[in-house]
Amino acid sequence: MTSPRITIAVDIGGTFTDLEFRDAVSGRSHSLKSPTTPDNPARGLTDAIEQAGARFGFGNDDIALILHGTTIATNAVLTRDLPAGALITNEGFEDVLEIGRHARGDIYALKGPERSVLIPRRRRFGAPGRIGAGGEEVCAIDPVALDAVIDRVAGSGVAATAICLLNAFANPAHEIAIRERLLARCPDMAVSCSHEVSPEIREFERTATTVLNALLVPVIARYVDALRLRLAEAGIGAPLYLIQSNGGAIGLEAAVKAPVKLLLSGPSGGVLAAQKLARRLGTPDVVGVDMGGTSYDVAVVSGGVRSVVTQGEIDGLPVRVPMVEMHTIGAGGGSIAFVDPSGRLQVGPRSAGAVPGPVCYGRGGTEPTVTDVNLILGRLDAATFLGGRFALDLDGARQALRDRIEQPLALDADHAASGILAVVNAKLAASIKFSLFAKGLDPRDFALMSFGGAGGLHAVEVAEELGITRVIFPRDPSTFSAHGILFSDIRHDLSRTEILPLLPESADALAAMAAELGAQGTALLDADGMAADRRRLILTADLRYAGQAFELTIPLPEGQITPETLAEMRRRFEEEHRQRFSFDDPEEAAELVTLRLTAVGVLGDGGDAAPDYAPSETAGTKTRQVHVNGAWNETPVHRQLALPPGAEIAGPAIIEQEYTTMLLPAGWVLTMTPSGDMTARKET
Amino acid sequence: MSRPDPVLLEIVSAALVSVAEEMSVTVWRTSRSTTVRELLDYSTAVFDADGRNVAQAARMPVHLNSMELCLSHVIAHHIPLEDWRDGDVIVTNDPYCGGQHLPDFIAFKPVFRDGRRIAITCVLIHHVDVGGGAAGGYTASAVEVFQEGLRLPPVRIVKDGAMQEDLFATILQNVREPETFRGDFLSQIAALDVGARAMLRLADRYGVETLEEIGAALLDHAEHEMRAAIAALPDGTWSAEDFTDAEQPGGEPLRIAVTLTVAGEEIAIDFTGTAPQARGPINATMATTTSAVYYAVIAACGVTATVNAGCYRPIRVSAPEGTLVNASFPAPVAMRMLPGHKTATAVLKAFAQVIPERIPASYYGTTFNHAVNIRHADGRRQVYFDAELGGWGAHPEKDGPNGLAAGFHNGQNTPVEMIEALFPLRFVRYGLASGSGGAGKMRGGLGIVREWEFLAEAGLLNSAFDVFDTRPYGLDGGAEGAGGSLSVTRDGETVQLAAKTVGHPLKAGDVVRMQTPGGGGHGDPAARAPEAVAEDRADGYV
Repeated sequence: MTSPRITIAVDIGGTFTDLEFRDAVSGRSHSLKSPTTPDNPARGLTDAIEQAGARFGFGNDDIALILHGTTIATNAVLTRDLPAGALITNEGFEDVLEIGRHARGDIYALKGPERSVLIPRRRRFGAPGRIGAGGEEVCAIDPVALDAVIDRVAGSGVAATAICLLNAFANPAHEIAIRERLLARCPDMAVSCSHEVSPEIREFERTATTVLNALLVPVIARYVDALRLRLAEAGIGAPLYLIQSNGGAIGLEAAVKAPVKLLLSGPSGGVLAAQKLARRLGTPDVVGVDMGGTSYDVAVVSGGVRSVVTQGEIDGLPVRVPMVEMHTIGAGGGSIAFVDPSGRLQVGPRSAGAVPGPVCYGRGGTEPTVTDVNLILGRLDAATFLGGRFALDLDGARQALRDRIEQPLALDADHAASGILAVVNAKLAASIKFSLFAKGLDPRDFALMSFGGAGGLHAVEVAEELGITRVIFPRDPSTFSAHGILFSDIRHDLSRTEILPLLPESADALAAMAAELGAQGTALLDADGMAADRRRLILTADLRYAGQAFELTIPLPEGQITPETLAEMRRRFEEEHRQRFSFDDPEEAAELVTLRLTAVGVLGDGGDAAPDYAPSETAGTKTRQVHVNGAWNETPVHRQLALPPGAEIAGPAIIEQEYTTMLLPAGWVLTMTPSGDMTARKET
Repeated sequence: MSRPDPVLLEIVSAALVSVAEEMSVTVWRTSRSTTVRELLDYSTAVFDADGRNVAQAARMPVHLNSMELCLSHVIAHHIPLEDWRDGDVIVTNDPYCGGQHLPDFIAFKPVFRDGRRIAITCVLIHHVDVGGGAAGGYTASAVEVFQEGLRLPPVRIVKDGAMQEDLFATILQNVREPETFRGDFLSQIAALDVGARAMLRLADRYGVETLEEIGAALLDHAEHEMRAAIAALPDGTWSAEDFTDAEQPGGEPLRIAVTLTVAGEEIAIDFTGTAPQARGPINATMATTTSAVYYAVIAACGVTATVNAGCYRPIRVSAPEGTLVNASFPAPVAMRMLPGHKTATAVLKAFAQVIPERIPASYYGTTFNHAVNIRHADGRRQVYFDAELGGWGAHPEKDGPNGLAAGFHNGQNTPVEMIEALFPLRFVRYGLASGSGGAGKMRGGLGIVREWEFLAEAGLLNSAFDVFDTRPYGLDGGAEGAGGSLSVTRDGETVQLAAKTVGHPLKAGDVVRMQTPGGGGHGDPAARAPEAVAEDRADGYV
């Protein structure tokens, strides 16, 4: 018997389960799509694996590794399908979760905004004891008073409890003591402690993250049980890892303890793929954009490294765990164009969604959307949309544009339609510019990589708007996320908050913190069974000028921590500060707020998997009338899968494939690469 | 009204707003003080070449709607526009030069292309200290603006791109936390530069004439929507009043009287009948009052357009001189948010008679600004400045949210852990004040209780509070919200302090407790749904 050679990535979305696998012996990869099975997604996963095995000739014993991206946690939060939980915090601070950070979004609204508080006040309990800002015990826990609190939690009938105490990031002793008492009393309770989930300063964010984690534990535990059962039934013994929001993989045991780390699992796959493809094409600076029906996600890969942030948000709830940085705006194919009460043309963020959808879907939509306009301008073809399986109502779309836009604004049809696209493209461009601006980066140094169903028609025009001269279209944008997941490594993000002056004198304290995190990281990789030569420990630090609001994350120089390390950190911090904010201040004191350790366990063999590409359709270029570059032109329409490697196409042109359509305006040339990905360049 | 291409209009409009946003991000990320970095007490905006506000980064209504007034005052009375040069930054904090109160420094930078002024960028920051009788600028005992701190008329702090170091040193010499002030001020200048560079890129791309034409059109569109919204209201005249606490506890509350007149497409708001200006610093200048009126009218009319100076055109504001809302020099004005908030709630109360279905009961009614001058045992000094807020008033269709920014201002609280890490304070309690929301068919939101122990050797507590004696009003049979309070407990003995406390001495072990008001209720409490009553009980909200 040969050793297992197949690595499988499975990305389960709402409609499709995407699978891509790589054969370590041949170095080749293949992908397929199958329907998601919402009643038990695990079945869809094993079905897809069985299908792939049958089609491409591998058996269960050939499988070395399965990596799995899931939206289970995300969907549970979005639909609030979460169990009832309790919160134990310091007495007097039970309302921190509800008060939040105060600031409101719409400053002129007179009706209060909806606020989502995941645990009602009746199940937020105050415990005795207090830890001070320096980690010192200010007041010990009175065991009698604590037992009274535990009684109330036990009596509330919940299955999950979050414990979050003030300054627990500096000293977790009280959280640990309370957990012990609680588990002694309620052994089956799912308990999450803030010093483990998010051991960083700022109590509201830590509480909110810990609560979300606690409520997700039963959800993910149930899913992991179902996965294990299904894999056993299917006779698949290979290890399975889940994909986290940071783009790294995590074992099932660890995931059940920290499910909040899975919340952005889905989108992180796309960013991983963008990063991988950027490297393969020798383009280290890429901005990846994912345009779907309602939203536009922007992620940045700079110098070959994906941008990660230490905090994000889901549905208005803060989530403080490291995640792939994603800037999202409400603009997509379903975005509605309308004239506002002041007589101005607006596009989005209101979306027609899937129901009723764009007018041209004929499901009752009456307001013109971006997709309708793309159809009216010939950029989409009613005959070939989704492989021609789905009839589009062009007349209905035209009528809606006439009634809602042309007449109120006194514009002709072409001007109205192309104007809507210009407005939405300007929005997309602004969101990219803003993502880069916040980092002090210039769009002109980047290539734009477009994936997601609706992006292909907008990518080149958006690039043009930004002065970007290179656009990359992945070969198969519809399974792009699974492709990215295929290259995931195990990744544990650990952190410790301690405000330290950024001075050589702090070297000993910093070295002690680093040693502590290093021991934790090593223990986690031990538990993963990682061999010594497959481990990497990466230290970074969140630094700021004394009293600043926002920290910059700076990598530590390698090697032992000495006074010189701190001097070098200061130099790196000032360089980064200058780059981002156009000034630095050598006289100002700087401080460290949080030290971070990323413990990586390398899973793959380090080999690439450029998909083997050969045209699978026969050439048969048609033409049609398309409005592009400000005029109607009889425009060539190519089938993507008919283009041979090395083929060059000059714009204007349309390139179609089953799930997406790409627009190439005049002045751009598109090249088919040997891997089946396409790059478009602006002619100079 | 000017009519540029509707598509180009949207594209350039979005670009202008993103200039203001880029400036806002720059301030947020680079400033040093807790006031700015956690409380978010700053705003940014873009003006056209003639000083009309064309774009704002949504942040603080109180700031945004007064920046244009300040600029026009500077131009009309101090530095005419033709004297503004490329490379200048002009700054003022003077309430009698179009400002609001001394801690707010408003800085403007003209942007030139080929010798022609094409725009003005503006950044307003609330600075941590400005000298004067009390840390943070809230000198409750002041009877003249001179006692409130350093007063800077409109001056060029940057000339030809060079910081005027002599002037800057003079300012720094007069404030309690020069390093923090300096950091925040440099961040303010950096943000102005970011905005100016972004405007130059827009000018290169679209041309100066197009930018001008579009700026004018944006104002026209906002004016058009505002006029249409006003025209939809019935014509007529309505009166309402709301009150601030007297200067001294237990005194007669001070009236803010509003007469609202809707005539066709225009609105007039007049304050005749308002109390005379106070001796102490609870006065407002017209910049504050006008800004409060703009906020209330825009909110009541439900305008959805991008808010800019065009929205102001159909609104007339008038107030007799020498009143609480139009104080005469040299009246002290540090606590101008007190009359400012009540100006907004009084105007909304007048609107409640016109469009009762859209107007909520009163929110908590002021910004609970407070500061402590701290002296450590080793002689080191620190200033702790913070702000708190309370519950929203109930809306005809919805309970008021608990403990959330409302009305005339906006802001973020400072995490307890961040305060404890930086200042010698240990919190005992931070939570909702049960029972503080006004009863009604829809309940008012709950106020907040903050309680902390002072840990340093000595300190002086200052507060600029209100709504201790007065109450947030209810509407349509709803009850008033509970009022606020401030107390200090030393050695087991609790002393109630005045809303406007100046320099109350603190020593280690003292416990300071403040409670902010809840919002007013809306509708008959007896008509409240039984399930909502049961929920309120289960959660201990009542």
